[in-house]
Amino acid sequence: MWDKAEQALTESTSRLLSQVASFLPGIVALIVALFISALAAWVIALGLRRSLTGIHFDERAKHWGFASPAEWSGSKSPTLLVTRVVSWMIILFGFFVGIASFDATLTSQLAQSAFAYLPNVLIALAVLLAGNIIARFLARSVLIGGVNMNLQYARLLAVGVKWLVNVVAVAMALEQLKIGASIVNLAFGILFGGIVLALALAVGLGSKELVSRSLEAEAAKSAGNGMEPFRHL
Amino acid sequence: MEAESIPQAAREWIDRIATADLMVGVLADRGGALSISVVRQALEKLREIPRTVVIQGRGPESQDGKGAPYAASASAPPENDPVFFVPWTLLGPNSSIAPFENMASAYLSVLAAGDKLGVRAACVLASDLQTLTSQWISRLVQPVLQLDFDLVTPCYAHGKFDGLLNDSLLSPLTRALYGARIQNPLGPDLGISRRLYQRIIGLDQGARPAQRAQAPTSIAATAVCSSFKICQAHVGVRLYPPIDWTNLSSVLVQVLGPVFLDVERNAACWQRPRESLYTPSFGERMAVPEDQAAALDVGRMWELFRLGTRDLLEVWSLVLPPAILFELRKLSSLPPEQFRMPDELWARAVYDFALGHRLRTMNRDHLLRAMTPLYLGWLASYALEMQNAAASAAEQRLERLCQAFEATRPYLVSRWRWPDRFNP
Repeated sequence: MWDKAEQALTESTSRLLSQVASFLPGIVALIVALFISALAAWVIALGLRRSLTGIHFDERAKHWGFASPAEWSGSKSPTLLVTRVVSWMIILFGFFVGIASFDATLTSQLAQSAFAYLPNVLIALAVLLAGNIIARFLARSVLIGGVNMNLQYARLLAVGVKWLVNVVAVAMALEQLKIGASIVNLAFGILFGGIVLALALAVGLGSKELVSRSLEAEAAKSAGNGMEPFRHL
Repeated sequence: MEAESIPQAAREWIDRIATADLMVGVLADRGGALSISVVRQALEKLREIPRTVVIQGRGPESQDGKGAPYAASASAPPENDPVFFVPWTLLGPNSSIAPFENMASAYLSVLAAGDKLGVRAACVLASDLQTLTSQWISRLVQPVLQLDFDLVTPCYAHGKFDGLLNDSLLSPLTRALYGARIQNPLGPDLGISRRLYQRIIGLDQGARPAQRAQAPTSIAATAVCSSFKICQAHVGVRLYPPIDWTNLSSVLVQVLGPVFLDVERNAACWQRPRESLYTPSFGERMAVPEDQAAALDVGRMWELFRLGTRDLLEVWSLVLPPAILFELRKLSSLPPEQFRMPDELWARAVYDFALGHRLRTMNRDHLLRAMTPLYLGWLASYALEMQNAAASAAEQRLERLCQAFEATRPYLVSRWRWPDRFNP
């Protein structure tokens, strides 16, 4: 009996040890993959930072409309943000490579699904970036146009346009990420429907006279009262 | 602009005429049509009557004041008559392009037609024809045909509140950068020699669309930088076209865009140190009735300037250095009666916008539109100052502005050369 017990113990120990031994290369591979990816991320981030600094990326980003990066990230500068995002993506890639080396079904599936999800993340990021650029461009157009039309609420309009486009971009990104797609759709339906209804009620009922007076005043101003004596060209 | 761009019908007329000494291109779409008698009177004032081609959309104006339509099956022009009319509506009806682009394209078409005919002088008339007299044509072409000048720009007899964009910006900028004291560098009525129009056409053909010289904005700058001989002619009173005030920013975009592009294109030319020189003028000046001061109301312009300093500071900060922003903020806090924009401040702001345009610190359309409140601020300041002044005082005032532009020219040169390092 003792022999059998000893045998069972030996077998279980050797099984465990063999499992640990089979697991170890995976861990080593994960560590190596993480180390290499961290090294690659550091080197690439360094090169990228130098390149971006060389082309004055921060100033360009400012000129493109990203006047205060603090509004949309905790980073101190757009260059720092871009390099950090790139380096963390490389490290994440290395992590998935390391996970896949375990050859376990679960980790493989995890890695596969993560890789399959990656395009959605990238598209969502692109949508957010494009939305932000478009929002700022439109906001600036509205602001300058509004000021030139002597609208006292030009800034308010510009901020409204910026947030509207940003919110649409966020909703599109969320839908791309498949996060609460139906809720986002529903929320948008309610939000926009509500805004349109509120405006319609304001114009149609409560503020009819106010709006018409305001429009008349703006039209009279725009017609150029008091500016006739001046000729430009 | 190729000669092939001339419409088939006009080309047939030009082919039949073959050669000419002088060409008059009428771009004006207001005030009827140019009459034969006006052209003949103008030619009689010249030493020799040149073989002349007049290009305009409507036929020569008859006694009843209406332009006669051209005969569709007109035969070859009579050999004994030195004046030929070519039916060609130079300003296209294409509403998809901006009026100033349309105008620029019409200028180049005229010059291309002149090149095809081999004329010695081209006269472009773009002002309202109502006030146009024979002396306009004779004075614009005489220096070219008889005195060997290459460019004749007009000097209009205008009131103190006429041609303000020209007086406040275009003329001082041309004087400060290119050293030419020209009252109306953009014309729009010009006399041009063969040498100069061939140069303009050559620049248009050789360059990329973004770098093309745009008539009439580029003509004076090209003439100065290529050392062509320039003079001015006092032509008389001009009827200024009305401008839609709601679209003033569009006007600024269309006019200043090509001007700033020229500044960029001619940077090597204007960065050479030079003093501004007197430009010879021909003809006697005409007096104009004083503007009625009672009708002035600068309230809206001042208000718009204040709104700009409140809401557009973030946009302006991409173009203007902190010191100028500070000055503008200080100005906006003044009551209207004390509101005066210093000339140096205005000149520096213009230079900074020219630099911003070159560096593309933001979308160029946005940049030029954002200049509108500043321009109206200067306008309000000038109007308040000149409200009760005589026309001669207004001239002196504008002369001081030109001097301020010249005095601050080193500022532009420094900023142009070292935009990052020199940012006061």
